[in-house]
Order: sequence, then C-alpha cells, then structure tokens
Amino acid sequence: MTATAERPAEIGQARRRKEDARLVTGRTMWTDNLTLPGMLHMAILHSPVAHARITRIDVSGARQRPGVVAAFSGQDFKDVQGTIPCAWPVTEDTVVPNHPSIAVDQVNHVGESVAVVVARSKAEAQDALEAIDIEYEPLPPVLDMEAALADGAPLVHPDLSSNKSFTWEFESGSAGTGRAIDDVLRDADVTVTRRFRQQRLIPAFLEPRSTVVQPQGEGVTVWSSTQVPHVLRTLMSLSLGIPEHKLRVIAPDVGGGFGGKLQVTPEEFLTTLVARRLGKPVKYTESRSELMMSGHHGRDQIQDVTITATRDGRLTGLDVHILADMGAYLRLITPGIPILGAFMYNGIYKFDAYRFVCDGVFTTKTPTDAVRGAGRPEATFAIERIVDELAVELGMDPMDLRRKNWITHDQFPFTTVTGITYDSGNYEAATDRALDLIEWDELKKEQAERRARHDTVQLGLGISTFSELCGWAPSRLLGALRYAGGGWEQATVRVLPTGKVEVVTGASPHGQGNETTWSQIVADRLGVPFDDVEVLHGDTQTSPRGWDTYGSRSAAVGAVAVSNAALRVVEKAKRVAAHLLEASEDDMEFVDGKFSVRGTPGAEKTIQDLAFEAFAAHDMPEGVEPNLDAEATFDPVALSFPHGTHLCAVDVDTETGRVTIRKYVCVDDVGTVINPLIVEGQVHGGVAHGIAQALYEEAVFDDDGNLTTGTLVDYMVPSAVDLPSFTTDRTVSPSTTNPLGVKGVGETGTIASTPAVVNAVVDALRPFGVNDVRMPCTPERVWRALQGGTR
Amino acid sequence: MIPAAFDYVRPSTVDDAVAALAAAGDDAKVLAGGQSLLPVLRLRLSYPSTLVDLGRIESLRGVRDDGDALVIGAMTTHDEVLHDALVARHAPLLAQAAATVGDRQVRHLGTLGGSLSHADPAGDLPDVALTLDASLDVVGPSGSRTVAAHDFFVDYLTTVLAPDEVLTAVRVPKLGADWATHYEKFNRMAQAWPIVGVAAAVRRSNGSIAEARVGLANMGSTPLRASAVEQALAGADASADAVRAATEHAAEGTHPPSDLSGGADYREHLARVLTRRAVMAAAGIQP
Amino acid sequence: MQLEHSFTVPVGIEEAWRGLLDIKRVAQCMPGATLDSIDGDTFTGTVKVRVGPIALQYRGKASFIDKDEAAHSAVIDAQGSDTRGNGTAAAKVNTSLFTDGDQTRVDVVTDLSITGKPAQFGRGVIADVSNKLIGQFAECLAGQLSGIPESTAESSAAGTPAGATQTAEAKPINLVRTAGPAVAKRAVPPLILLILLFVVLRRWRH
Repeated sequence: MTATAERPAEIGQARRRKEDARLVTGRTMWTDNLTLPGMLHMAILHSPVAHARITRIDVSGARQRPGVVAAFSGQDFKDVQGTIPCAWPVTEDTVVPNHPSIAVDQVNHVGESVAVVVARSKAEAQDALEAIDIEYEPLPPVLDMEAALADGAPLVHPDLSSNKSFTWEFESGSAGTGRAIDDVLRDADVTVTRRFRQQRLIPAFLEPRSTVVQPQGEGVTVWSSTQVPHVLRTLMSLSLGIPEHKLRVIAPDVGGGFGGKLQVTPEEFLTTLVARRLGKPVKYTESRSELMMSGHHGRDQIQDVTITATRDGRLTGLDVHILADMGAYLRLITPGIPILGAFMYNGIYKFDAYRFVCDGVFTTKTPTDAVRGAGRPEATFAIERIVDELAVELGMDPMDLRRKNWITHDQFPFTTVTGITYDSGNYEAATDRALDLIEWDELKKEQAERRARHDTVQLGLGISTFSELCGWAPSRLLGALRYAGGGWEQATVRVLPTGKVEVVTGASPHGQGNETTWSQIVADRLGVPFDDVEVLHGDTQTSPRGWDTYGSRSAAVGAVAVSNAALRVVEKAKRVAAHLLEASEDDMEFVDGKFSVRGTPGAEKTIQDLAFEAFAAHDMPEGVEPNLDAEATFDPVALSFPHGTHLCAVDVDTETGRVTIRKYVCVDDVGTVINPLIVEGQVHGGVAHGIAQALYEEAVFDDDGNLTTGTLVDYMVPSAVDLPSFTTDRTVSPSTTNPLGVKGVGETGTIASTPAVVNAVVDALRPFGVNDVRMPCTPERVWRALQGGTR
Repeated sequence: MIPAAFDYVRPSTVDDAVAALAAAGDDAKVLAGGQSLLPVLRLRLSYPSTLVDLGRIESLRGVRDDGDALVIGAMTTHDEVLHDALVARHAPLLAQAAATVGDRQVRHLGTLGGSLSHADPAGDLPDVALTLDASLDVVGPSGSRTVAAHDFFVDYLTTVLAPDEVLTAVRVPKLGADWATHYEKFNRMAQAWPIVGVAAAVRRSNGSIAEARVGLANMGSTPLRASAVEQALAGADASADAVRAATEHAAEGTHPPSDLSGGADYREHLARVLTRRAVMAAAGIQP
Repeated sequence: MQLEHSFTVPVGIEEAWRGLLDIKRVAQCMPGATLDSIDGDTFTGTVKVRVGPIALQYRGKASFIDKDEAAHSAVIDAQGSDTRGNGTAAAKVNTSLFTDGDQTRVDVVTDLSITGKPAQFGRGVIADVSNKLIGQFAECLAGQLSGIPESTAESSAAGTPAGATQTAEAKPINLVRTAGPAVAKRAVPPLILLILLFVVLRRWRH
C-alpha cells in the first residue's frame, strides 16, 4: 500500500537539487560564516620540520602583540589533551601511537600544530604567530616505507620498537574460501608480477575545514565542517572527557569532503581545548595551504601483485602484498583504508586462490586516511592493470580475458574467493553497451593504422571493468572487521500540523544532495508535494542518531531508513483515517496522499487533514499518540556491489609525452536510481577524481620531508577545461540487500576511471616496449618511459 | 592567509606614484593587478611596507597606434589586450599569448605591465615582449627612459626597474604583413604556467624564411631568445626538414630549471620540439 | 638534499685552505649579511634574502665542528631560522682540498635542508631563492678568483649559472688579503649561507 500511478512517481525523476541555490551562492551557514558574541580567533603555528624534538618554545612574545588574548604551546595542554582516536585498529596488536592535537616535545610531520595564538581578530592572531620563539633539534626524517621497515631504521616514534603498525593477512586456503595460494602459485602455467605505486593524494574539497566552539556553563557546542558530526560527538566526549550529554556537535552546510572530512581532527580538539580554557567562543578556519599539509592525505601504497593463469587464460591465483603509508599517526580509520581494498582485489573475476598481506608503516609524513574510494581504487587499479599485463603475456585480447573470467549475470549472488557475496550485476550488459557507445572496433582500427604509419600521436585504448563494495554496513560485519562503529542508519519523519513534513536523517550530507533525494522518497511514500518536505540533518540535538555520510552509504542505508520511517507514518495515518472515517483499516486505500474507504465514494481524508486531526487529538483511536511521526532504523543484511565498464581512448603525443583523453565512456550499474541527475553528477565528479589520480595529482615530499606540493599551484587538481565530455549510461541490477534496490554511486567513478586511463596510456606505448607508467602519468613521465627510463 | 600589515597608496597620476615609491623606500612594492603579488603576500613570503596601487591611473590603460608601434598602457589587462583590435591586427602574437595567461579571473585583473615587471621567466608575456623586440617606457624621480625588452629582464623576478621606478607603457613594433607568428605553450593544466613556452615570429619571402625570431619561456632565469635557431633559420628553406634542422639548436645557451613539472633535460627536449612546432605553425608549414 | 661540488682555484693548497675557510674574508661577498657576533669558531648573524617580492631573513649560527689541518678537510655545521617563522635552514658541509698541479681542487659535499614556506609553496621557490642568493655570491667570488691568472673556477656539474661566468672579469679582490674589522663586522654571514655559495656550482635537482 503506497502511493501509486495517479501522479508521476518522484523516485526516478531528474529533479534539480533543492539545496543548490543556497550552496552555490554561499548564502548559507558555512561554519566560517558563524559569528558569536565575544568570539575570538585562533591561529595555529605549524611545524616547518618533518621530524624534530622541540628543545625550546616560548610563546610569551606573542602575548605582547596587539589584540592577542592568549597564546599556548603543547606544554599548556599536555595533561588534558587526550589523544586523537583511532576507531579502526585492524588487528589485535595494531600499534596506535599517542596522537596529541598539539605537539608537546616532538613533531612528527610538517604541518603538525606546535603553538596557537588567540586574538580578537584573525589578522592579529596570524601576525602574532611571528613572535613565537621555537627551537627544533632535528631528527632524521622517515620517508621511504621499505627503508622504514629495515633493521636499524630511524624510528618515527622513538618509544615504539619499530615503524610497523600492523600486519593484516587473508589467505583463501586457511579462510576456507578457496584453495591454498601457495599451491596455486606453485602449479601455475603463467605468472605475471608487477609493482604498482599508488601515489599520495590530498582531498581538495572546496571549503577548508573550520571549527567554532562555544563553551557555555558545563556545556560545549561545536560547529564544524565535518562529514561525521555524530562520530565527532562521541569520540570527542570519550577523548576529552566532556560528558556526551553536555556536548552538542553541529555540522552546518559542509562544502565537500571526499573523505577528507571523515575525520576527528586535531584542529577540532585544539579549538575546543582553547575555548574551554578561555571560557569564550573561539573560531579556527584553516587556509588552503594549512589544509594541504595538516588535513589527512590518502592512498600512498606500494602494491606487489602476482597473478596466475592457465595457458588458455583462466585466472587461478592472486597474491597481493601491500605497504601502506600511515603517515606519522593513525587517525580515525587510517589502518582500515587498505583493508577496505582487501575484499576487492579479485575484482569481478573468479579465482581459485587469493592472498592479501598488508603492512601498515609509519613515516614522518602527514597521516593518511579516507579519500574517495578508500582502499577500493587501489584494489581496482591493481587488478585491472595486471589483467591487462596478463593478457599481453598470454597473447589474448584484454577484453576476451575479462569475459572468460568474470562472474556471469546468472551466477549472482556470487561468493568470491574473499568470502564476500556480491548481490547482483550484469557485467556482460554493461560492457556490451560501453563498447557500442565508444565505437570500440573503429578505434581499434584507427589504432592499428596509426601504429603502422608510426604516427607521432598514438592512440591508446583502456578498459576498466570494475565492481566495488559500498553502503558501509552491516554493523555485524563492521564489528567482525574490528571497526569500532556501527553501520545502521536512523531517520525520523514528522508530518507537521499543517501537513508539511520534516525528515530527520542521521546521514548528514556534505554536498551529495540528500535533501533532494530524501524529499523525493518521502513525497512518494506520503503522497505530499516534493516542496513540502524539509530535511533536517547535521545537528546532534535535532538528529541525535546516525553514522553520517561516507563509503557510498547514504542512499544504500540512510535512504532506506527514511523510506521505512515514512511507511510507518502511513501505517499510523491509516489507523487514524480508519477511525475517523469509521471504517475498517482493511478497507482503507491510500493513493496520492489520500485515504479513502473502498466502495464508499467521498469518504476520504488527506494525510494533511490527518496530521491536523492528530495534532488536535480530539478524536484519536485507542492507543495512538497524537502525532503523525515515526522513526526507523535500518541495518542492511549485507554490502551492495555496484559495477560498471569504463572505456577510455587517449591520444599520446610521443614527442612531448602529453596524454589527452579523447573519449571516455562509462556504463555504470548502481541498482535502482532515485534521482538520475544526482547519479549523473556523482559519476561525472567521480570519473574526474579518478582521472586526476591517473594524470594529475600527486603529493610530493622532498628528502627533508617537506611537502613540496603545498599549494594548488603544484598540487594539480584538474578542472572542467582539462577534462573531456564524458559519455555515460546505465544498466540497472537492483541490489538485493536493501528494499529500495539502491547501490552507492559516490565513489564508483573514482574507483573505475583510474585504471581505465592508465591502461589506455600503457596501451598507446606498448609498441615502444613500455609496460607501465607511474601515476600520475605526467608528460615528463610518459616521455621518460619512452626514453626507456623512469622518474 | 592574511598578509602582514602594510600601508596602501592609490595615486591617480604616475608622478604621484613615483613620489609615493620614493617616499616609501626600498620596501615598497607596486601593485599592478596583483595576480602574482597577492598570493606571495598572503603566504607571507613578502613584507612590503607600502603598496602603491596603480589601478586608478587612467593614463596607464589602453592601446594606441603610434605609427610604427603600438603603445600599450602598463595597466591594460590581459583581457583587454587579447580583445583589442589594434593588437589583433599588429601584434597577434601578444593576443594569442595573453589568452593563455592564468584563467579568466586572472586575465581580467592581471596587467601587461604587471606581468613584465614581475619578470617571472615562466610568464607568457615577458617571452612575447622579448620576441617582439618591445621597448618599455619607465618613469622615475629623475624622469623617464625607454628600455629595450632585451635589457629589461635581468634575472629571476628581477628587472632593471629601480625601486622607485614605474613601468608605464609597452611599445610593441608593428610587424609587417609578411610576418606571421605563433605562441606554443606547453603546460599540464589550462591555467598553469608553461613548462616551456615558445613564441615565434617568421618573415617569409619567396619560399624561404627571410627572418625569424624565437623566444623561450621558462628555460632560464629570464626569458630568452633562441638566437642559434634564429641564425639557422635566416635564409633557410620554408620546409619541414629545414625547420627541423634549425630548431635542433633551440636549447643552446639555455639553463632551464628542474622542478616538479620537469627536469632540465626534459625542458631542453621540449624546447626543441615546441620551437619546431611554433616556427612551422607561424610559417604555415605542414608537418 | 645532498649536493656535491668540485672546483679548482689557481692557488696552492695552503693558500686555498686559509682563504676558503677564512669566513670573514669569503663572506664579504655575501649580499645582505650582517654579523651579530663571533665567538671562536662560532658565528651568529642574519642574512636578508630578496628575490622579487619574496623576502626572507634568516638568523642563525655556524661553527666548525671538525678541522683537519693535515688532511685539509673541514666540517661546518650551520643552522638558522627565518625571523618571521617561515622556516629553518640547516647544513653540514664537508670540504676537502686536494693539490692539482700548482692549483687546488676543492670538493664540497653539503647536506642541506631547507624547511617551511620556501620549500613548500609555489613552483620551487626554494631552488630559485637559493640560486639567486648564490648567484650573487658567486658573482663576487668569481671576481676575486679572476684576479689570479688562469682562473679555472668551474662546476663539475651541468648548468653553471650565468652569474658565475658573466662576471668572471669583475674587478679583482685578493682572496687572501687581510680583511679590515669593518668588513668583517658587516659581512660575516651565518654559515648556512656561506654553504649555499657552493650550491651555485650545481643546479638544484629534486
């Protein structure tokens, strides 16, 4: 019993996002727009050195500067600052170093906070930083992961016995999910081994991080530009000892995150410590260059991958050894990021055996953590790259090799060699559609012609047939992976007396368009106009329960909770309607927001009528409370697995090394689509992000541990003018793990596109004897590969 | 990202600007659009005592025809330059290069004079000024002088301008109808500086190249002329082979930097390839 | 970063030893330097670095941590920091002299680390700042050396900056003349910058 065909369904409509007018004009509550009476401004002095002992620090000079109210060093908070929490120690013996929010006697990466100044204006606070006197005694920087693990290597944390945080292992033979890997490796017909390098990335969201803290009596209110207000509240309470019921966290409108704000940050803690010490509201808003060195980075892995196959091209074994750079500390889910990939290295293929071993390594660099895709782009890159290399080794067409080994549509649900069950999919359909759209055969012909005539500009064709796991849930699985949090999501739907609807969601968005999507779902379920729905989120006081937005989980988990809550409202309204219309509940029909009695024309009540009746409560049925409110919590039974086929054609100028993407086609399957426009936007942004890793972005540290890509001049984030027009299409294989049939889409493009582009670049260079180019494939790297060297 | 405090002066005449600079001493800086200066101020890598903003000096804006040359006011923005009819007719190389400077916002605020005075060897316009044999009008406390572009750029971010001198106008000699030009810029992202940029101007005569000028951006601490290429091209056949042979000399006498965008050897290679392409494009030779 | 340089000066090894390690004298070429104090082998001072709009001012100290008269080798340790907190600079310089006919070859191995904004921001400002600084120094030094016939000061690495060769005919200054107190007062830099002089002979590579 739901709204039916009298009016067009909202679900499936390409609605423009209702939140965009305020977001794109900036006329909204960004954290930095907040001004409180008596509010002070904090500036942070960051360590310019990667690794050093602080031998002297004197902030008294800053206190003499105009407008300065206070200045502090780590010494002032050493007994009360707790530690920045890590919520995902992936093994029982994961080494978790103490992570102060302000360094006390040692700094372990460039950008670490060492002192703060609080002043009446931001400018005065910044000016006074110059008067802080600080002396460092340098320690050797620890920059190379392999060197860091060697005997006698300098230690990032001298109090620890090594630079290793953990070793996490999976092996299909011992897990009972497949054959023993060593047997398969030993018996292999064909073996291909490659080392891939996932460069370090920096999430480049539009709004830098900002925090305002207002202490009032015993209570504290924290506004922060965060993806995770709920997580922040609980962990800040535990770590700083602020009773949770005295702590309110508000994430107002948040200008993007891409995983970079899936964090409980030292800056949030530090602002809170300072505000509580002074008893005054304090704001800290970072600059872009502060963000570049202090906000968490992502990727940075060395991947040693071995794949085996029979001579006729049947995949048999996959052996993966990862070194993952943790940076100097473990932040919220730092160790878990590479482990998220552990279940995806096998991609969409059937293997007999699989092993995954990951060492987490400490270095004197900015800590790493989630960046869009988080673990899955690394896995997808490795498998899609090495399948191409294997195809060359076997003398097979790379698409034929994939077809021969992927899970076919009639085999779902399919339990892979990792033991995880893929819910649904149709790789054949997506691939056939993509090949048609890009005119693959024409391109193949052109490629052959160009190769034959030794054209300066060579054509490369790249494939990525990917799947990913998303909808970070269920809680039981998360617990089994030693993830401290849960995976459920919570929603409340309230029909107000005038018939307008408030939806409270725990999946606080930061640009995803949840207000629009949730409104569409609720409008359909309740039969109310789209514009009559308001979505509330991001304030732990109005939305006390939830696990927030990351891991492509909002729709797959949060939207289902919203839908279920709305359905409960309808159930409740039906009881009220039946009571008022003096009819049996069984005789009630609900169409387009209107209850009517079957067979009794004219006997009807709109849901808006019922909301007011419930509010007045003059005549309520027995046991029904006087409102049309309901809540629901949803915890899926399993993850969901979007997939797709991405094809990329690149022109490579063999004289200059420049790579130009000529055509990019992707056919994605993200299950049921609630809003095609939003899905399209996510795919475009995601593909751009993945292309950025393939061709543009890289965080570079010099030999001293300086981040030499400290601004957007050197850290190259491509924009629309640098990218081609994407051709997108979809197939639909509804998820079987949630009632809406939706799968996540926020990360698919990023996960899929990187190997498609790099495979295309390598394909173009194949006739020159090149079989890899390190990311990002800059013109210089491509040119050097063509010269037979690497750089 | 807030600059350190400074005094701000916004004169309405060149004389007042020069007087303000003289009064402020060595630590004054001229603000001429600010697209390079403001980022440095905001990063606090620069601490001028005074900023003298030329933005209100009307006489420094616009393009006029001065017989054999165009005279372009120093405060003419890149966007104005690239849309100017006189520039399009007599100095299309300048328009083509100006269109590649930064992004749209930068082109609306940044100025030709500011770009030349900043003297970033990776800048597009110093290279073009050098290639077009522009000369630069400079006014100081003791009067005015005109400096050839060749003499103007001294070193990385350094010109012959004294601290109390202001660049007022850029004189760009008109190229005759027998000249053709091309600017070849190689960068990784649309708004980025060139890894290497090549400006070429070629005068063709009876199937050969009578005269050529080639300027290089980001191949040393100043913009450079590829004089070995120019010599080799003078009188050469207007053929792909001849141009290829001549442009093999493009990296001679250069000292390119090594940075995140490329090593010196890669830049030397690019200089040869891009010079060949620029000269062929200017001369209308098919590869 | 480690930088290795080698050059030859047209004087005997003893003369070169005295000359090159007499900081007061060599340092008079360092632009923008002010000496604060000398205490035995330890020097403190400041140096202003200006490149276009970029202005840095380092204050620091330097000292010989090893001087081997017999082997003609010395190790200098230097540390400094920008007075506005923009970063630090530190270096350890191993200098060795070898007789090369009637001339002297100087091998210099420098471990240089520059931190903070100059290293972090904007298209390799660090390389440009260093080149600029050393370019100015080399201009002066090359002039001094050219006062002695058959000067062969040159780099073992590719890409000797223009400054060093352009000014090779500048007016000669006797490398080993006794420096007056006024010169010493004005010109002794923290050794980080003295050390940077050697960088002139080799362009920065990352």
